[in-house]
Amino acid sequence: MVQNTLFSRRGVILSAGACALAPIAAYADQPAETFISGVLTEANAFIGGNEQARLDGIARLVDKYVDMRRISRFALGQYARQITDAQRAEYEPLFRRYAKLVYQQALTTYSGQPLEVTGSIDRSARDIIVRSKVIAAAGSEFANLEVLWRVYRARDGAMSVIDAGANGIWLAIEQQSQFKSIIANNGGGTTGIDALIREIKAQLDR
Amino acid sequence: MSAAAIALLFAASSAANAQLYLPIGQLTGEIDPDMAATDIASAANATANGLAPDPWENLNRRFFGVHVFLDDNLLVPASRGYRVAVPKIGRRGLRKFLANARAPGIFINDILQGEFKRGGETAARFVINSVFGAGGFADPAAKLGIPQHSEDFGQTLAVWGVPSGPYTMFPVFGPGTVRSNFGNLGQIAMNPLIYVRTPSANIARNARAGMSALSAREPLIEPLEQIRGNSLDYYASFRSFYLQARKREIANGRTSFDDLPDITDFEDFDEFDEIGEEE
Repeated sequence: MVQNTLFSRRGVILSAGACALAPIAAYADQPAETFISGVLTEANAFIGGNEQARLDGIARLVDKYVDMRRISRFALGQYARQITDAQRAEYEPLFRRYAKLVYQQALTTYSGQPLEVTGSIDRSARDIIVRSKVIAAAGSEFANLEVLWRVYRARDGAMSVIDAGANGIWLAIEQQSQFKSIIANNGGGTTGIDALIREIKAQLDR
Repeated sequence: MSAAAIALLFAASSAANAQLYLPIGQLTGEIDPDMAATDIASAANATANGLAPDPWENLNRRFFGVHVFLDDNLLVPASRGYRVAVPKIGRRGLRKFLANARAPGIFINDILQGEFKRGGETAARFVINSVFGAGGFADPAAKLGIPQHSEDFGQTLAVWGVPSGPYTMFPVFGPGTVRSNFGNLGQIAMNPLIYVRTPSANIARNARAGMSALSAREPLIEPLEQIRGNSLDYYASFRSFYLQARKREIANGRTSFDDLPDITDFEDFDEFDEIGEEE
């Protein structure tokens, strides 16, 4: 069982070893920061607008910048290797609709605060975390809220968003927890994936 | 993807963690409901990303059902009543007062974790807010640049290297891990009021517990409704929220990205895409 490696003896030893081998463990990634700045600039243009503008805007940004297929596959966990072609053809469009709906519903009660990029850390050349901060007045519930963006760089250099997080919680990880649970509790494998597809459909029909 | 939506989702998720903490945390008033949350898990699935496993999922799900039933029928109605009866400024003041009352417990855990700078901040906040903040109803310390933070004995055990153990879910007491449950017991023991059994002390203790529960639950009514409405599996969603946030809380916000699960490792997926594009 993996426990708090930040504080475990093994974690300390590994960290020390890593530092000795690589004095600078992670680097800022300016192109990724520029990429997210562009996304936020587009978002900031509509988040202060009316509800319909926000709903349309978020759908547009998801289509444009989020690698939904990669996230949808990650959300399946180990079951991603078991999904059939027919299931995938049905699952991926459903996932895209479901994820959009989650974001859009969240927006309906959000008053709208702009964000700005504050830095980045590269986990690897192709996996970068870009930090952003909510620009909010002191005392606002969103003041000092840091929103993190996980950026994927494809082999051709094209970048996309593959996860977003705040307060230590990552969306894709939370979705994976739900999806894997549903699959596992419905027989696992392709049977469980069928159940997941039914659940997503039912949610979209509500 | 809208940054705004993400911000809300995560603000809401943070709130969810607080609700999950309602149990012991609020019965004793010792655990900060606003800052709560931290471990991880997913039954047969959750050791990735350092999150606690959930081998007792079947039992936990039953307890979760009872927990939600009690929440729906007791705490939420009471919280709505509290919202109607007390104006927003009063609710905010009470929340700050209760947070200030938790400072001694936070200070002890700061020190036990060797976080002497944060311990100094906690002590300074307690003195400033108690003296200049009307006993804690205001937070002048935050305006002076000393932000609030949270600690509890469960986090201290984590810092000391105690393994989290499996994820647990108890009605009323909410989510946790074996470690955090032991931590809560230790946290209760740190509350001096627990040892005073006079009638007035009993009233004070019970009043604090009740007001802590209402104060924490009231602002979360809508966010939790939204999370629940969006969830395909509310239990799994809550578990993930709790464990992810708890993990960050233990790390005192010093976010580590080293143990994030790989989302980028689908090299064959790239090839799949390329084949798809050719088609």
